[in-house]
Amino acid sequence: MIPTTALRVLRAPRIPRATATLWISVVVLLMFVIAAAGAPLLAPYSPDAVDFAAINAGPSPAHWLGTDNLGRDLLSRTMWGGRTALIGPLAVVIGSTVVGMLLGLAAGWRGGWVDSVLARLFDVLFAFPSLLIAIMAVALFGKGLVAPVIAMCIAYAPYVARLTRALVQAERTRPYVSAYRVQGFGGPWIALHRVMPNITPVVGAQSALNFGYVLAELAGLSFLGLGVQPPTPDWGAMINEAQAGIVSGAFLPAIVPAVAVVLAVVAVNIVGEEMSDRIGGEVPA
Amino acid sequence: MTTILDVRGLTLTLPDGTELLHGISLHVDAGETVGLVGESGSGKSLTARTALGLWPEGAACGGSVTVDGREVIGSSETGILAIRRTAAAMIFQDPRAGINPMRTIGDHLTETLRLVEHRSAQEARARALELLAAVQLPDPEAHLTQFPHEFSGGMLQRVMIAGALTSSPRLLVCDEPTTALDVTTQAEIIQVLASQREARGMGMLFITHDLNLAASICDRVCVMQGGEVVEQGDARQVFFSPVQAYTQRLVAATPTVDVATDPTPSPPVGERAGVGRDETQSQARPRATAPTLALDVSGVCKTYLRRGKPPVQAVRDATLRIPRGGALGVVGESGSGKSTLARVVVGLEQADAGTIRIAGAESSRAPRGRTRRLARAKSVQMVFQDPYLSLDPRIPAGRAVEDVLHLHMSLSRADARRRVLELLDAVGLGERHAQARPKTLSGGQRQRVAIARAIAIEPEVLVMDEATSALDVSVQAQVLDLVASIRAERGLTVLFISHDLGVVRRVCDETVVMRRGEIVEHGPTEQLLRDPQHAYTQLLLDSVPRTA
Amino acid sequence: MASADTVTARTLPAVGGGRASAFLRRLAGKLGSLLLTLWLVTLLVFFSRFLVPGDPVRFLLRGRRPNPDAVAAVTAEYGLNLPPWQQYANWVVGMLHGDFGRSLQYRQPVATVIADRMPTTLMLVLISAVLIVVLGLAAGILAAVRRGKPADRITLIALTVLSAIPSFVGSIVLIAIFAVGLGWFPTFGSGQGLFDMAYHLTLPALALTIVFVVVVGKVTRSAMIEQYGREHVEVARSRGLSRGAVVRRHVFRNALRPIVTVGGPLIAGLLVATSIVESAFGISGIGNLLVQSVDRLDFPVVQAIVLLVVTAFLLVNAVIDILEPLIDPRSAAGASAR
Repeated sequence: MIPTTALRVLRAPRIPRATATLWISVVVLLMFVIAAAGAPLLAPYSPDAVDFAAINAGPSPAHWLGTDNLGRDLLSRTMWGGRTALIGPLAVVIGSTVVGMLLGLAAGWRGGWVDSVLARLFDVLFAFPSLLIAIMAVALFGKGLVAPVIAMCIAYAPYVARLTRALVQAERTRPYVSAYRVQGFGGPWIALHRVMPNITPVVGAQSALNFGYVLAELAGLSFLGLGVQPPTPDWGAMINEAQAGIVSGAFLPAIVPAVAVVLAVVAVNIVGEEMSDRIGGEVPA
Repeated sequence: MTTILDVRGLTLTLPDGTELLHGISLHVDAGETVGLVGESGSGKSLTARTALGLWPEGAACGGSVTVDGREVIGSSETGILAIRRTAAAMIFQDPRAGINPMRTIGDHLTETLRLVEHRSAQEARARALELLAAVQLPDPEAHLTQFPHEFSGGMLQRVMIAGALTSSPRLLVCDEPTTALDVTTQAEIIQVLASQREARGMGMLFITHDLNLAASICDRVCVMQGGEVVEQGDARQVFFSPVQAYTQRLVAATPTVDVATDPTPSPPVGERAGVGRDETQSQARPRATAPTLALDVSGVCKTYLRRGKPPVQAVRDATLRIPRGGALGVVGESGSGKSTLARVVVGLEQADAGTIRIAGAESSRAPRGRTRRLARAKSVQMVFQDPYLSLDPRIPAGRAVEDVLHLHMSLSRADARRRVLELLDAVGLGERHAQARPKTLSGGQRQRVAIARAIAIEPEVLVMDEATSALDVSVQAQVLDLVASIRAERGLTVLFISHDLGVVRRVCDETVVMRRGEIVEHGPTEQLLRDPQHAYTQLLLDSVPRTA
Repeated sequence: MASADTVTARTLPAVGGGRASAFLRRLAGKLGSLLLTLWLVTLLVFFSRFLVPGDPVRFLLRGRRPNPDAVAAVTAEYGLNLPPWQQYANWVVGMLHGDFGRSLQYRQPVATVIADRMPTTLMLVLISAVLIVVLGLAAGILAAVRRGKPADRITLIALTVLSAIPSFVGSIVLIAIFAVGLGWFPTFGSGQGLFDMAYHLTLPALALTIVFVVVVGKVTRSAMIEQYGREHVEVARSRGLSRGAVVRRHVFRNALRPIVTVGGPLIAGLLVATSIVESAFGISGIGNLLVQSVDRLDFPVVQAIVLLVVTAFLLVNAVIDILEPLIDPRSAAGASAR
């Protein structure tokens, strides 16, 4: 079927993207990364430095963002908190993507019993919401960040695998893959060197979007007191500690880390979706 | 004669300023069929859609389009709805996409009656049954409760026609209604359309890229190119004595099976070039005596097993032979097994029974192991149908050809590059195409790259599986000429799969006709067309549109 | 002349009876699959305990004083001296009889502890679900119908921002503004009686809605926009159907499938997010119980709740799966879903 101009024009996707939003998001993300990485050098105070003279203080020249219920500087704590808040999701995204892509490739390329077994395994894993698996991991192995991070890698891998599998199956039927076969290239070579590079951008973009979810979930875990433990600064943990203060009207210790979480997630989501749109791979239903 | 559709100076401009139609003027009277012919990008579909107010959102239309006396351009929403409800109706190219898959056929047909004309359910149902019978569907009662996925393409198109006729329109616009259908089904649909048009005295605007079809069923024809009407007039006149250069090129490029009107013979039988074979390669393959048959297929069978459904016998006892340097066409409709046969020959599928010999070497099994894979690749290569999907989107054209060379021969980078440029030159492409990614190349250019890639390692046999079916008529002609010239230069043997007898006629000395997995007839092409033996071949020929 | 085309019609399987038996076969298949997955889940939940190195008794009694009486009681109760498969079998049989073990922190049957808190969480989830579906659909439909125009962009921006607000942030902000700041709602507790409970659960439900309305909104929008590009919508327009009818019968109707499919994960996500929201608002529901039990190392309760959540999710998914042919007739025949 030769696509007619009429159809092509009628179906052209609209929504022009405001690139200003994209650049702002990128800058915001960079700021977070620099602040977190350079916290030891850049933060004005040590995150544990208490000062009982300045409890729940508002913003001042000494404390740009105020202090919390123990007089600790909120700006410094937020900068230091970025370390755990960002490393965790990064580890999860990288881990789940690598594992998920390998499994998805195995399931989608060959099919057969490998696919059936993996499909059943994924069915089981899909039944567990990711946060639940993280909570279970804490119940088994104790509080902290390590157990939940590993658990979430396992929780997110099936999603990556499912997407990879669908993409691989779709690519496998395309004539260019058959053409490679006819030319004499071997199956595994085609899968690894020609098919995977074609689908990696789509999978990568989806994984980037997962970063935002994982960030929110890990911070939530810390908020529940199950993740990062006080006094280690972490955005979720900080909000947890600030809860009591809210009733008495001390909002800043909770709002500052909350804003940090929201900004980070928005920035990541915008960048991730922009990447997704640019790459524009067709995600099969 | 009343004019049903009157288009004067129609222009269409997109929101970003691009002008797609530059002043179209044409008209359709009651009781006549006007063809709107052109290649992709000509604007024929856009023009037709304006009759029903279906232009792209935000586009600005100028000029005048009147349907049954009512002006479309500048009309209010209610005005356009009125035209769609009473004056004009449209049928589209792909019925499977055009009928909502989640609703029943009955729903599709009675929708407008119930919601727009506010008829009762019984009235609507009765009318729907009437229409289904009018389009000659066998079991109207049962069809009302069935879903689209239970129907074949041809049946769905009849349903689409029935749906369009519910409002008893005075103008029927048909946008490539048979392009996606088999030639025999096409003939039936055309017959249904003609009889309905006759019975209702409608005016019909028929859009197609197939000049033969237009010339055979239309009273008048408008030829469009690049958003303009290039030529219009009586159908036979335009076809047999075109005035404009573009129309002349189009007519010349259009393949036809009419042996009487177009006595251009296909390439002479038994022409053996056999030159251009690199002597250094003969050491790799044992060639005691050069076999005379390039391809020898004998008794090949292939059956597909499906879960929960009866097995499909895609190919049954297929036997064919091609001499060195010859060209054999395999013609059939969908489900004939021609593509399966091609895939078996090439090694993408394995035959359940029978033997395949390529240049004397046994090639019946799908190759296992590197050496056999490479040997198979050297013996037979394939060009696929879809130019958009048969090239790796990530790899530039030059590299696609280079990769094949590196796989089979040990060449230095420089030597490989040189050969790539030679090959691209042989298919009519230049150095700048070597760097280009497939996205930036046109359909014709991509097929040329695919051909270059296929002949790079100098296979014995080249299989072309509907390789030109997705190309515009003029581009198709160029590619077919290219294949002919390569064949002459390099002594290539070609197995050409197609559904189009006219195309096969241009390329192949001999032709084989397949139907439901079996070869029903074979013989020299010209003879087959002039004097078919089997009833099915006769049916195929009868179904092909002719300008009688 | 009998054409190849119309012959197909006569060889189609008899409608009526064919469809009923196909449905039953599908149903049986889905139920079988569900049971298999459920069984594997119970295996995973039960044997996860064995991933932890060390003495199982130590593990169950973490944080409590391991006096010999307690050790003997726990060993007897959980049959820890029996082989693992036996323990598993006992556990499953016990569950089928409604016995989920004893809570270590409350010294009551787990079933009782959970049942006490169930109504609160159910109400919270219900209120949230209704809000999410209504608001999400409305937002998605609005954005899709006005795609490319200001209304669409505003909705998209609003959704993007909302999607970045995790449930705990939402809870805190809502408490800060509406409970403490304006004093319109109570800051914690679940209240007594239907209306009082609903009053107490308003803010928590809003916190949950903020997170999940985005999911429904975005899926609705993208599914509908995809349908707008489909040819059957154009055909409907060409027949003269009004805009509203086209959107209702062809755009939205066909977009239902992906929207409904997201329903399963939505419920699961909701159930788990209640743990965060209930903790923030001090509501004694299942979610809060889960967190508490993890904190106080009450493993039997954790195990039971995890199983409950997963089972609920699998059931919802199975129901959606079975009802799928009602939405998309093509799946009944096993035809490709495109």
